[in-house]
Amino acid sequence: MDDIPSRTPEVVTNFIRVREVDPRPLHLLSNSVTMASFARPSLLRIATRSPLRQNVGVSQAVAFHASARKQILPPLPQTIEGTMNDPVPVPETKPSQGSYHWTFERAVCVGLIPLSVAPFAAGSLNPVMDAVLCTLLVAHSHIGFEAAIVDYFRPKRVPKTYAFCQWLLRAFTLTTAVGLYEFETNDVGVTEALRRIWNA
Amino acid sequence: MASLRTTSRLFAASRPLFRPAAFARSYATVEATQNVEPNPSENPKMKTFKVYRWNPDTPAEKPTMQSYQLDLNKTGPMMLDALIRIKNELDPTLTFRRSCREGICGSCAMNIDGVNTLACLCRIPTDEASESRIYPLPHTYVVKDLVPDLTLFYKQYKSIKPYLQRDTPTEDGLEYRQSPEDRKKLDGLYECILCACCSTSCPSYWWNSEEYLGPAILLQSYRWLADSRDERTAERKAALDNNMSVYRCHTILNCTRTCPKGLNPGRAIAETKKMLAA
Repeated sequence: MDDIPSRTPEVVTNFIRVREVDPRPLHLLSNSVTMASFARPSLLRIATRSPLRQNVGVSQAVAFHASARKQILPPLPQTIEGTMNDPVPVPETKPSQGSYHWTFERAVCVGLIPLSVAPFAAGSLNPVMDAVLCTLLVAHSHIGFEAAIVDYFRPKRVPKTYAFCQWLLRAFTLTTAVGLYEFETNDVGVTEALRRIWNA
Repeated sequence: MASLRTTSRLFAASRPLFRPAAFARSYATVEATQNVEPNPSENPKMKTFKVYRWNPDTPAEKPTMQSYQLDLNKTGPMMLDALIRIKNELDPTLTFRRSCREGICGSCAMNIDGVNTLACLCRIPTDEASESRIYPLPHTYVVKDLVPDLTLFYKQYKSIKPYLQRDTPTEDGLEYRQSPEDRKKLDGLYECILCACCSTSCPSYWWNSEEYLGPAILLQSYRWLADSRDERTAERKAALDNNMSVYRCHTILNCTRTCPKGLNPGRAIAETKKMLAA
């Protein structure tokens, strides 16, 4: 019984194709149990079937796939891997992408709060504090955008788009980091700039 | 009685004694459907229900919304009562799952007026002017009408090994006992009936259902992580420690908002993340 297909649209179209050649009811096709098939109207159906009727399945299948494709990504596979009785595969343990990543992300988030308040509350400008703040900001935004990429462009579905987005993000992050470094070393720095904008 | 009938049939001239080997038998026929209450009461409170219809036998036809009108005076208070009444008295072709009609089996999970809930726990809004819209659970493959395909959901449930895993027997050889405090940790977890309302309300699950486990399964997973009698906590945690299984949860909390049993899958996922981080 483990070969019962799930009723996804693809499977349904397969049913239609099968029905072109075999007009027996679906429940006879989907399992291998041979009920007394002479008691079924299959013989009569084949004898009385008109040529017009033979093409019904094809046109139905075509019509099913003829709806407009307005989606950005390619459609999902519309099938479920494995049989009904298999569990979904358990992914490999990768703490660097899992628990360590999450802890790091939370630490950066929490660290940003005092760092973004302290310079203005203390009223002092410390280049080391500024450097740490900028580093954490870059790391925080990188992690945030990366999460969005992983969410919306799965390597399983769109491997090339996923890789492109990842490299694009790395390029942006690097540009931001270099820009902030230049701003900190050759100009007034982030905190001082914010203070001036605020007081302007 | 049976033998009598056989005998009478033998002598009945109207039917042939032996049937031909291949006889034509038509499919079971369905009564003509109607959309309006057949015999309303004196002062009827007519309410319109718009129901998602899709028939796998005619896959080329797009899904449609079919409206039915029922007299609320003759209908029970819950959405499931309305659906059963539609099926019994208006349109026998309407298909939906239901079993216990009291919110313990989770069969009648569907999207009613934009909220995933159990039809048996959802009151019919008595406002007659507004129509109620009933859809299957969102982002599921539809088997027919309001019946979603939950194969993947059950396969994911199986993957978390939802049973007690333990090697050491108890000292006295009796049942595995736990303190009332440890038992209390399972409150709010064991009540889950796996109706899939929360998982199918989660945008992360809509996008990544193949890899992200979804709130319902993660709540069940935490039910076993939190169990003091289970001895495979490390293995369970290792199975979740990757970027897809748990961490696609972005604390949107649609799950907690929609749960028809009033549970909090969002909190269970947060506790799981804390356990994994520790």
